[in-house]
Amino acid sequence: MTSTAENIRVSAIEQAGPRTLAVTWSDGRTDQFDVVKLRRSCPCASCIDEWTREQRLKPDDVPETIRPLRIESVGAYALKIHFSDGHSTGIYTFQMLRGLNL
Amino acid sequence: MGLFSSVKDKLSGGSNRSGITEEQVKEALAKVQDPDLHQDIVALGFVRNIVIKGDKVSVEVNLTTPACPVKEQLKAQCESELRAIPGVAHVEVTMTATTRAAQRDNNAAVVPALAGVKNIIAVASGKGGVGKSTSAVNLAYALARTGSKVGLLDADVYGPSIPRMVRITQLAEEGGPNVIIPPLADGIKVISVGMFTQASDATILRGPMAGSVIKQFLTQVQWGELDYLVIDYPPGTGDIQLTISQTAPVTGAVIVTTPQEVSLIDVRKAMSMFKTLKVPVLGVIETMSYFVCDGCDKKHQIFRSGGGERLARESGVSLLGAIPIDPRVAVGGDEGRPHVAAFPEAPASQAYIAAAGAAAQQLSILNAQASGILNQFALEWKN
Ligand SMILES: Nc1ncnc2c1ncn2[C@@H]1O[C@H](COP(=O)(O)OP(=O)(O)OP(=O)(O)O)[C@@H](O)[C@H]1O
Ligand SMILES: [Mg+2]
Ligand SMILES: [Zn+2]
Repeated sequence: MTSTAENIRVSAIEQAGPRTLAVTWSDGRTDQFDVVKLRRSCPCASCIDEWTREQRLKPDDVPETIRPLRIESVGAYALKIHFSDGHSTGIYTFQMLRGLNL
Repeated sequence: MGLFSSVKDKLSGGSNRSGITEEQVKEALAKVQDPDLHQDIVALGFVRNIVIKGDKVSVEVNLTTPACPVKEQLKAQCESELRAIPGVAHVEVTMTATTRAAQRDNNAAVVPALAGVKNIIAVASGKGGVGKSTSAVNLAYALARTGSKVGLLDADVYGPSIPRMVRITQLAEEGGPNVIIPPLADGIKVISVGMFTQASDATILRGPMAGSVIKQFLTQVQWGELDYLVIDYPPGTGDIQLTISQTAPVTGAVIVTTPQEVSLIDVRKAMSMFKTLKVPVLGVIETMSYFVCDGCDKKHQIFRSGGGERLARESGVSLLGAIPIDPRVAVGGDEGRPHVAAFPEAPASQAYIAAAGAAAQQLSILNAQASGILNQFALEWKN
C-alpha cells in the first residue's frame, strides 16, 4: 500500500545539470525535470485559470534562460520554486510532479 | 604513557587546540546516509553532543528506533568518516535511540489513555490459525528486547490466547473507577479478556459486548508511556477490527500469512480492509514458512513456497520476515515462554527479531514522512 500514488513522497532533490532537477521518490524512483519546462507548467492561479483550467501563461513568454534561484519543500506534500523572473507562487505538489512528463 | 604523548596532551590540553572544528565533524558525518530515510544523519538531526578534545572526537547518534537493524553499520560508517578528518586520532560514537511518535491528525480526538503511546501496531490476518498471536507476542518481545517500552493488547475477544502465551509476573489492578492498571509479563504491559473470564466463559462475549470490551481496553487501560503497542487482532475483517480503528489511531498493520494460496485470499481481504481504514500496511510476515531439519540443516519448504513474498510484491509492501516452523515455538506458546525470550538465538527467534526491526523501520519511515522531516529540503540553484 505504500506504493499507491497518494503515499509516495519526494525524499530528495538535487541539481543534476545546468537546467535539470533530479527528484528522488520515496519508492526509490528518480525523475529528471527540465526547469524551463517546470516554469512553463506553473500551476498557480495567475498562470492557469482556476475556472477554465486554461493556461494563461504563454510558453513563449518564458525565456530559455530562466532558472530557479531556490527550491524548497512545502509541508510534506509539495515543492515551491523561486524562479529568476521573480515568480514563486507555483506550488508543485508531489502528486502533480509524479504525473508530469517533462 | 610516554614523554611525547604527555607533552602532546599538555599541548592540546582540555581545550580544542587541534583545530578540529564542529563544522568539520558535521561535514564528515553528513556523508553518512540513513538507508531508509535517504537523507544524511546530520540533516535528519540525529547527531548530538559533539565533543572535541584534542585529537579525540565523540558524538552521539540518536536513531528513530532502538530496533534499528542497521545500527552497527551506521556506527561503523560514522567512525570511519570521523577518523578520516585530519588530526583525529580517537573517535567515540555512541548510538542511542528515541522512538519517534506517529503524527496524529490534529482534528482527531485524542484518547487520553493512549496519549503516551507513540506507535500502535496491528497484527492481523484474514484467516485464523496462521500464527497471528504467536507473531504478536514474539514481535512484542523482540521490540522490548531492544529496550523499547512495549504493550500487548489481545483484541481477540472470542478466542483470547495471549494469557496462555505469556507469564504474568505482576497482576492487573484497579486504579480507580474505570481505570485498569495492566499486568506485566517480562516488563511488557499486557491486557486480554482472558484475564477477566474463565476460558469457558469466553463465549458470553458476543456482538456489542465484544466491541465495548475492546473500547475499554483502549480507553480505560493505563498504558502510560509506550514506544509500541502491539494489538493481536481477531481473525477476519469484522466489527472488532472496525471498532479498534475507530477508537485508536492505529499507526500501521503487520499482515500475517502462511505460504499457501488459500490463506492469501483472506490476507488480501485484510489488506483491502486496512486500505479502507486508511491504516498503512507495514509489511507481511510469512509464518511456518519452512522447516530446518536437525539432520541436514537445510530449509525444507513444506507448503508451496513464496506466498508471503508474492503477496508483498503484488501489493507493494515489504516482506518483513519468513518464520520457520519449530516445535519449540508452539511449546513456548503453551508454556508462557515466548520463543524469542526462551531461545533468542534460534532461527525462528532471529527471524522474529529481524521482522520486528523491519516493522520498526517502516514505522520510522512513515513517521518521518508524516512529520515532514524528510520533506524539508531547500536547494540553492547553481548557475
Ligand atoms: N513458527 C511456528 N512453528 C511451529 N508452530 C507454530 C509456529 N507459529 C505458530 N505456531 C503454532 O500454530 C498454532 C496457531 O498459532 P496462533 O495461535 O499464533 O495463530 P492465530 O493466527 O493467532 O490463530 P487464531 O486465529 O486462532 O487466533 C499454535 O499452536 C502455535 O503454537
Ligand atoms: Mg490468535
Ligand atoms: Zn505561476
